[in-house]
Amino acid sequence: MIAAVLAVAFAMNAHPVAAQSAQEIVTAADRVRNPTASFRSTLVLTEYVSGQERSHSAFVLFSKPDASARFRNLLEYVEPPRDAGKRVLLDGRAFWFYDPASKTSVRISAQQRLVGQAAIGDVLSVNLAADYSATVAGTETIDDATRQKRNTWHLELKAATDTAVYNRIEYWVEQGTFRPVKGKFYSDSGRLLKIIYYRSFTERLAAQRPSEAVIIDAVDSSLATIATFSDSRFQDVPDAWFQRDYLPRLQVQ
Amino acid sequence: MSCLAAFCLASAAMAADEDSDLELIPHTEPAAAPAVAAQPAGHSARVYVENALTFNTLRNDLLVPPPPPLTPHWEERLLGDVRAEWSLAPGALVAYSGRLNLVTRDGLGFPNRGNVTNDLRELHLSVEPRPGNYLDVGRINVKSGVALGFNPTDFFKARAVIDPLTADPSALRENRLGTLMVRGQHVGESGSISLVYAPKATGAAALDDDPDRGFSPLFGRTNGSERWLVKASARLHDDFNPEFLLFGENGRTKVGANLTASVGQSTVAYVEWAGGRRRGIIDEALAFGRQTGTIPAFAPDVIDQGGQERFRSQAAIGASYTTENKITFNLEYHYNEAGFSRADWSRWFAAGEGRPASSPIARQLWFVRDYAAENQEPLQRHAVFLRADWVDFLVPKLELTGFVLADAADGSTLLQLEANYASTDFWSFGVLASGTTGGRRSNFGSLPRAGTVLFKATRYF
Repeated sequence: MIAAVLAVAFAMNAHPVAAQSAQEIVTAADRVRNPTASFRSTLVLTEYVSGQERSHSAFVLFSKPDASARFRNLLEYVEPPRDAGKRVLLDGRAFWFYDPASKTSVRISAQQRLVGQAAIGDVLSVNLAADYSATVAGTETIDDATRQKRNTWHLELKAATDTAVYNRIEYWVEQGTFRPVKGKFYSDSGRLLKIIYYRSFTERLAAQRPSEAVIIDAVDSSLATIATFSDSRFQDVPDAWFQRDYLPRLQVQ
Repeated sequence: MSCLAAFCLASAAMAADEDSDLELIPHTEPAAAPAVAAQPAGHSARVYVENALTFNTLRNDLLVPPPPPLTPHWEERLLGDVRAEWSLAPGALVAYSGRLNLVTRDGLGFPNRGNVTNDLRELHLSVEPRPGNYLDVGRINVKSGVALGFNPTDFFKARAVIDPLTADPSALRENRLGTLMVRGQHVGESGSISLVYAPKATGAAALDDDPDRGFSPLFGRTNGSERWLVKASARLHDDFNPEFLLFGENGRTKVGANLTASVGQSTVAYVEWAGGRRRGIIDEALAFGRQTGTIPAFAPDVIDQGGQERFRSQAAIGASYTTENKITFNLEYHYNEAGFSRADWSRWFAAGEGRPASSPIARQLWFVRDYAAENQEPLQRHAVFLRADWVDFLVPKLELTGFVLADAADGSTLLQLEANYASTDFWSFGVLASGTTGGRRSNFGSLPRAGTVLFKATRYF
């Protein structure tokens, strides 16, 4: 036991990693989570209260990377019935929410996309390396979502652009595979908002990628959401789709 | 060495802390893969049935009593609401949106023609002959504007809202009639442009034409005059996507603009403005009353605003702010240059005070207010609007929404608080309370309805 502790301690201190390397780790983990080409996925968010399933939502998500490696996202609610047809557009700093009932598009803030239904903001495709500057806080062996031991880099991410949604992120990435294991997401005030575990790595979009993310509400820890990606496929998405005036025109087939 | 040992123990403790987060992971399997294809290919729909029971409390000490029909003390409404699209072929679809109402209320009687009404909101054909180019023909809801409480650029809103269940201006758009029109639209990579032509299909309907409307499509409300609209937006920057509008009706032209910008992570600021040559709201209302026969042609104006036609502006300037506690606030200032000045209010009360509700003078005075309400145009010149929306209030899926609309001149207010609980994916229940406050000579304090309580249950399919 002592040997294991010492090994962890030496691993944390023996080889400090340069900031550039930390950024490369985050970039590599981004490439595990998302491909570098535009794609479409179906997404189910299952919400739990005190461990009991409370409700679920389903979406179709279109994502396309821009020249700066940031994803533009377009999402349509499929379920539940009350929300079917609602759409969300994320394009740079602009977020638009379209409701077919009112037939209007309302611009929402980055914060508002996180408090809407079912943590939509956490499941849109985001490349963290584009918006955060990373440093390595150390190496740690932590349990992943299935309680398997993983040797990880513990990274500290600070918001570097005004498109970064969170002020700070703690991020654990498995050494060797660059698989994201876990993230902790903090507000501007330093409050821990979310804990996310990445799990169920399967062949998806031409690589082994997490097909589930467990999103734990750190403000009210009785709340959790499991995001499940399926039916993912590469699809060319025209740039015109990311205009707010396209929102009423989207046809998900 | 003792330092290293301490560090080792600290690291181990940190890792143990991280592993304690695992206890928060639900142990049951998530929901099955989504039923994206649950609906037939090429068909999408949202259908719900709602029951709404409303009780009103009325003022009985009004300085200017309104003419009949009086606001009912209670109303029971069962409605079926359908929005559906059918794909005819790649790039072609038919869209329908409508609501069937079964209504009974204090004073309506049963059975009665007014017990069953149908609102044909939309029915149109849309084709995309080339990628990004669209042509729409039929009854279409064209909406514009970035503000919540008042939309000066929403030029097709006039007389389009029918039987609203809420006073929340931001929700009034949900049951509103479209307009017969032809629309061409191009949506490109960096902007879009729309051209709309709405012909005059029939004479303008009088304000009180539809208490027993039955299944009438009410084209007299939406196509009583010829209108056109050019709307263009451009994505000039990540954060700057202005929209400009040019609108014409009866030979008069209006211009408008919508601007938004994010301010930090939690705030969105917006400005909506429209302007054009027109008369004041009183003069417009009385002219419309004579045009549609509600006010006799020979009847003198009880009050007026001078009858001058000049450039007048309307604006809504505001911002939304979202807290970490899942509350979104919208604060807006509303300006209507054609609205009532203090002097107009004084004349309105002076002309009507002491008159019986059945007098032609009271009828004319209330006609002006009804006309403004029907056109969704603020009667007041300056107003402040504050709205709060609290998602997951106390328990998950309970949403609390409230707003205050205050007349900045006299301090009178329209208030509403609404709670909606989505008990399952298919059922939701809500309760709404609204009221008006203010002195007897104030804008909202002189309305007949003092308070409203509404209970509703909704089943989605």
